[in-house]
Amino acid sequence: TAACARIFIMPPAAAAAPKATAAKNELRDDGKAKRSDVRQSNIAAAKAVADAIRTSLGPRGMDKMVQKADGEVLITNDGATIMEYMNINHPAAKMLVDLSKSQDIEAGDGTTSVVVLAGALLQACQSLLNRGIHPMKISESFQLALDKAEEVLTGMSIPVDIGDRDSLIQAASTSLNSKIVSHNAPLLAPLAVDAVRMVGDVERSMVDLRDVRVTKKLGGTVDDTELIEGLVFSQKIQKLAGGPSRVENAKIAVLQFQLSPPKSDMESSVVVSDYQQMDRILKEEKAYIAGICKQIAKTGANVILLQKSILRDAITDLGLHFLSKLKIMLVKDVERDDIDFICRTLRCVPIAQPDALHASKLGTAKLVQEFPTPEGKIVKITGVPQPCKTVSILCRGSNKLMIDENERSIHDALCVVRSLYQRKFLIPGGGAPEMEVNYKLTEWSKTLGGMEAFCVRAFAEALEVIPATLAENAGLHPIQLVTELRNRHATGNKYDGLNIKKGCISNIHDLGVIQPLQVNLSALGLATELCRMILKIDDIVFTA
Amino acid sequence: LHTIFQMAAYDPSNTHANVLTDEAQELKGTDARLTTILGAVAVSDLVKSTLGPKGMDKIIMSQTQASGVTVTNDGATIMKQLLVDNPAGKILVDISKSQDDEIGDGTTSVCVLAGQLLQQAEQLLSAHIHPQTIVAGWRMALNEAKKTLEQSAIDYSNNEEQFRQALFKIAKTTLSSKIVRNAHDHFANLAVDAVMRIRKQGDLELIQILKKAGGSMSDSFLEEGFILDKKIGVGQPRRIEKAKIMVANTPMDTDKIKIYGAKVKTDSIAKVAEIEKAEINKMMKKCEKIAGHGINCFINRQLIYNKPEQYFAQKGIMAIEHADFDGIERLAMALGAEIVSTFDAPGMVRLGECEVIEEVLIGEDRMIRFSGCKAPEACTIVMRGSSQHILAEAERSLHDALCVLLTACKDPRIVYGGGSTEIAMAEAVDALAKRTAGKKAMAIEAFARALRSIPKIIAENGGYDSADLVSQLRAAHSEGMPNPGLDMREGAIGDMAELGITEAFRSKMQVLVSASEAAEMIVRCDEVIRAAPRAREDPHPH
Repeated sequence: TAACARIFIMPPAAAAAPKATAAKNELRDDGKAKRSDVRQSNIAAAKAVADAIRTSLGPRGMDKMVQKADGEVLITNDGATIMEYMNINHPAAKMLVDLSKSQDIEAGDGTTSVVVLAGALLQACQSLLNRGIHPMKISESFQLALDKAEEVLTGMSIPVDIGDRDSLIQAASTSLNSKIVSHNAPLLAPLAVDAVRMVGDVERSMVDLRDVRVTKKLGGTVDDTELIEGLVFSQKIQKLAGGPSRVENAKIAVLQFQLSPPKSDMESSVVVSDYQQMDRILKEEKAYIAGICKQIAKTGANVILLQKSILRDAITDLGLHFLSKLKIMLVKDVERDDIDFICRTLRCVPIAQPDALHASKLGTAKLVQEFPTPEGKIVKITGVPQPCKTVSILCRGSNKLMIDENERSIHDALCVVRSLYQRKFLIPGGGAPEMEVNYKLTEWSKTLGGMEAFCVRAFAEALEVIPATLAENAGLHPIQLVTELRNRHATGNKYDGLNIKKGCISNIHDLGVIQPLQVNLSALGLATELCRMILKIDDIVFTA
Repeated sequence: LHTIFQMAAYDPSNTHANVLTDEAQELKGTDARLTTILGAVAVSDLVKSTLGPKGMDKIIMSQTQASGVTVTNDGATIMKQLLVDNPAGKILVDISKSQDDEIGDGTTSVCVLAGQLLQQAEQLLSAHIHPQTIVAGWRMALNEAKKTLEQSAIDYSNNEEQFRQALFKIAKTTLSSKIVRNAHDHFANLAVDAVMRIRKQGDLELIQILKKAGGSMSDSFLEEGFILDKKIGVGQPRRIEKAKIMVANTPMDTDKIKIYGAKVKTDSIAKVAEIEKAEINKMMKKCEKIAGHGINCFINRQLIYNKPEQYFAQKGIMAIEHADFDGIERLAMALGAEIVSTFDAPGMVRLGECEVIEEVLIGEDRMIRFSGCKAPEACTIVMRGSSQHILAEAERSLHDALCVLLTACKDPRIVYGGGSTEIAMAEAVDALAKRTAGKKAMAIEAFARALRSIPKIIAENGGYDSADLVSQLRAAHSEGMPNPGLDMREGAIGDMAELGITEAFRSKMQVLVSASEAAEMIVRCDEVIRAAPRAREDPHPH
């Protein structure tokens, strides 16, 4: 904790002091000593961050409670999320945060493993540096080792067919199993797979996750999370007594104008001088709104999705009254950013002014219905035109912490499936790939000479951190298990890994704990890249 | 070290004329020389370790911005950000900047060479050689070095295929010292392709660099045309052929009357509705005018609101809103359009044209590509990389490579890198020293030593035994080995022509000339006068 505290509280001042003053005094000092100091301090800082989130790796990883600056509390074991809220000041430690974000972009999962791996590799660097090996030499040897490791990983991967729903579900489950929502994996994994399969383009290997709209609604449990082929709104239907709450064979109008008294962009005021005028104004307002409502009804629309307006009321009570009479259902407060998604789902065109109302611009759906939940009502639109290339997920949870964690987990699972579209290979989890790379690299290093062999071996050893940490977090004996695992791999059992549930070693592939190859490749690649970057840095320059 | 000559109150016994105001400082003689030379050497030492293909990086950290962390190996970037108080140090920063502006590469080399020259000068000065003698010797040495450099230059400009090869090698050499090393073949090809397109125009603005996090560096690619990271309005065509494009900067909500406190008073809702209607109509008229230009694509710098968006959708016009300023300027240039903000004279407006506008997927994002532009040179390099740090550094190195290539297009002569030309120059200068009588010879020798220290530093940064390598290099040169230089991969001496390590002649020349000019300037100074800091008014008078 001492090392940790240094990063958070005493920012880079400690590391930087020698250089900052040296530059100002224009004194020449012994460059070498200072440079190794900077490197060591960078490594120490990065390692401290890695140690901080090490305990949340794997299915038995612990969660962290994060209290944000505004006092709000967050519970998660998602590496990227934890690091996002750590107030990190040290530049090298910050790079570790970015590392986790990059892994999120690349693979969507493995955000903790990548940091733990980087920490272990940096530890290896440190001992190599202490032996007097030049940082450039270490850096190059690590690249060599990485190239070889990628070869090994690709070699042991298993091709997957995108049509094979079960394999995809297994992969998504592996990702979900290390989350708080792990016991809901049987529900969430197929859900994520189905969502991606619906919007994915197999031919071009592309999945645009923006075609999956995740809507959060508090109340219920994670078990109530569902996939909806259509749309779901977390707001209730706006209605006065008598308005419909269920419409079959809906004709839906997406409106971008407001059903409220007119308002000009220029500041305007209506001046009333006597009672009769007041009466007249009321009548006019009524006529104005009634006119618009009738125009809408004429197109045959029976459901309205109304865009939010910041300038004025989207709808007044008067408007609601008319719509209820006309048996038109209304959902208001639709965000402008969602309009494109909605229009693509319903195959309609948004209508920006009453003049432009036309039957051809309406969208259709079999059913629009309001459902009650403990925390208020929601609206679902189902039976949208086929083939549907967009999909909605209604994300539920019993409290705000749970629902946020649920959303993050779903996102991770979606990313995992997406990464399988891009690179159609799976690899077992449970530390099996790391141990296999460890074994193969150690063997390979025997064919190399000099410092390279030494550095490659150190790289290989660093990878043992994954199975060791998995075991440690599960309360198992890391040294014993890792040693046994090494023996198994030496005898050719390349899919053997840690069976966390049983606390023993078994063939992970047979257990069905599999994940996309992309996750491992990118984690190892990014961690090595970061290591090389930190090794290359020999100075911190401060500017205004 | 520093004695500060501060003018005290008037003292009749003081023999100095009291010419400086209070607080102004004056440094003379040895003090002045130490300040200037040591200051410059300190700056050059700072960037020294970034030189060469195995140079180190620096973290640049801003003290005011919490998020401002840059990791870089680019001399100019480091120097630009440096807080230098020393006047001589500032001169070094300036020559590095001007090297960046003129050539785009060699920003570290120029600073390091100047620093090395000054280090030699310091020794000469302490041996009581007069600064003017040093300068005179250096000038002779510089002329000799320039002659050698010109002789060793090779010109490939009359053979297109060879020229392209030469450019590729130059790009590779420039990139080899940067972070994109893992993919430098790929990046060198990208840079050469891009520069070959624009070599006639010579305008780097036509090359757009787009950074997208995700993917690996080798996924970066060159795309013909222009790519805009924006979205097409709802319900509008996603692909247009033979596009006529208007690039505009105009508000699309309402054209407000700009009179302060303007207000309308009515006595009925109907009249407010009328005004609202009138306002909408006004906007619709504007849209009609825009459409009246016969365009099928409208790009606005500002937001396009719902109603105009709907209008354009009805007319089948693609409308793109909120294109950033930089994007608009480049786009206008690539499409040959002008940026419009009034729409009354359709005949007067120059519209942009291109063959196809379509949505493309880059990484996970949808973007808009304009291909077959009016300026056929326009192209976009899409850079992929795992993190923002790496992308930013890759962009800087790519920019350097583009600049150098453009320089090489203007002056197609090339020279060999890897310390090869430095050694050749040093040997020639040494030979000159032997022929020269008098104290100048010492200065000439010092110049040769400074040149030789460049390969020495490169070798040192790579973790090799620099003294050994440089002496091997000298021996190889005098034994007549062709183009001997440092092979940094093997840590040995190699033939630079075979290894393909080449640099642009003009870049090398510029480094040599501006470094020696700067060093000369600093050596000639014998006094530092520092003006009194501008008096600041006390913000909190007591």
